[in-house]
Amino acid sequence: MYCSVMEVSADISLLQGDAAERDRAKARLYVLCQVVGWGAWMAFETSGSIVFPDPETKRTLGETFSIIVVIVGTGLILTHLLRPLLTRWRWKQLSWRALLPRLVVTSFATSAAWSLFTIGWVHGILNSPWPTKYSHLLLALFDICYGCIIFFGWLCLYFLYHTFDRLNRSEIERFQLMTSVKEAELRALKSQVNPHFIFNSLNSLRALIDENPERARQSVTQLANLLRYSLQSGQLETVPFEDELGVVNDYLALEQVRHEERLRLRLDVAPEALRLPIPPMLLQTLVENAVKYGISPRPEGGEIAIVARNEGGALRIRVSNPGQIDGGSGTPSTGVGLHNAAERLRLIFGERATLRIRSEAPSVVVAEAVIPLPLRS
Amino acid sequence: MKALLIDDERLARNELRRLLAAFPEIKVVGEAQNAKQAREQLASLKPDLLFLDVQMPGESGIEFLESLEPPVPHVVFTTAYDEFAVKAFELNALDYLLKPVDPARLAAAVERLPGQKVAPEAGLSRPGLLEAADKVFVREGEKCWFVEVGQIRLLESEGNYTRVHFGDAQPQLFRSLNAMEERLDPKFFFRANRRQIINIAWIAGIEPWFSSGLLVQLKGGAKVELSRRQAQEFRERMSL
Repeated sequence: MYCSVMEVSADISLLQGDAAERDRAKARLYVLCQVVGWGAWMAFETSGSIVFPDPETKRTLGETFSIIVVIVGTGLILTHLLRPLLTRWRWKQLSWRALLPRLVVTSFATSAAWSLFTIGWVHGILNSPWPTKYSHLLLALFDICYGCIIFFGWLCLYFLYHTFDRLNRSEIERFQLMTSVKEAELRALKSQVNPHFIFNSLNSLRALIDENPERARQSVTQLANLLRYSLQSGQLETVPFEDELGVVNDYLALEQVRHEERLRLRLDVAPEALRLPIPPMLLQTLVENAVKYGISPRPEGGEIAIVARNEGGALRIRVSNPGQIDGGSGTPSTGVGLHNAAERLRLIFGERATLRIRSEAPSVVVAEAVIPLPLRS
Repeated sequence: MKALLIDDERLARNELRRLLAAFPEIKVVGEAQNAKQAREQLASLKPDLLFLDVQMPGESGIEFLESLEPPVPHVVFTTAYDEFAVKAFELNALDYLLKPVDPARLAAAVERLPGQKVAPEAGLSRPGLLEAADKVFVREGEKCWFVEVGQIRLLESEGNYTRVHFGDAQPQLFRSLNAMEERLDPKFFFRANRRQIINIAWIAGIEPWFSSGLLVQLKGGAKVELSRRQAQEFRERMSL
């Protein structure tokens, strides 16, 4: 038991370690792409202006180089500032159809800011004269369009990478999910009828054969019903509450053979609740828990009450037993049975289904399952 | 041999009583539903043998056995499905029966019991003292032992506990060394110093030690120092 808990936590930390490692690798890749991409453009522009110098402006080499540094540097800084915004706006989750118009607008806005900086540097700071052939507006528009292409390209590359990364990751997640489903199935199998109960029942049955043959025959049938149900229930997603209640009654009759007057029962089930679907073994788990923690540890025994109502668009099942929530009874709780039951409930009925345990009166523990009703078609 | 059945289920006790009817040498003298009743029955009926359920409301069978003052009667555990308990018993040759009880397995368990041992009354000449053949129940974690007093080589004080050395094991017993000393027969057990009691029958060698003390080596390797005063007493005792 302890071993498996440690193994599980080790697995989790391994996955977390993986995730952290992936994040670091992604950050390295980002820096690399930025440096190589903008660096390549800078090299291209620099060599271009050296090989084909613009005869009209007559700039010094230093001036030309400073202009290129500003153009490329501004682009680098703007895109770097854009990255956290894209994450904050959650654009990575968008489809390409929703994404494309946003990318056009963003690249235009970024390009406008970029043109403002570069034009400001060239004509404001360096006091380079405006070319006379074209109007100022046309030149500015040309700059913006040029920038648009560059930033749009940058954004497309960025989101293409993330699309592939997501595909890749969802594949991994699918495998992980498959494994955890298998584990859950295995756990569900294990959490079926408690072997201690089976062997104790068989022992009582042996004694009953002499003492009360009629009751012994009945008990054999009840035990058979319970075992068959627990073996078959794994294949079904839900069963009518009525079916489960029938098996729980068999189970309680067997527990009463063992515990005799120590186990008292109260059943209060609304007739309209009987048809509603519940996950198999849910009520059984709650009742088995009630016997384990409420009856077995107390020499004087106690009462178990099962109440089921159809209230507020949901089936409410309450199972109460004497006792306190954390121990005091001497039987330490592993919580595995209830945890599994809650998990199954959530998987089948979604987040609206709940399973809670609380103390009600000073010494009464109530487990309550709330199961939303199926939608009528 | 007088037997006491301890199980919280009436039907389980009935079934065992019925099965035991096949063994005339075993006479069921009483039944108890829980540890509290069992303690009362034990005091009034003085059984030689307990059939003890592991899982009971309140105290478990193991806790109950641990709380008993030695010497403890022979014990056969009964359990329905208790992996940990069964493992503990298998390892240490405590007898146990799985419910529903197989009559052949019960016969084997009965056969393993020592012959009609005269009830503890025989030991009344030295009231309260443990005989070499008496058994003490010791538990540590998931392991349980039923150890004959004569097999104990060394007892060491560890606060309120006493570490008991026998065979390859050295579990702790929840009793102080002083409490144990009162129950041990001085013919066999000697208080070597404040922390240790040794079984004289297990001494392998003795050598003189500093300031007129003695160093006693026990079979199994443990070495125990006797202070000058204790060494003096030891010499006197041994020279008799």
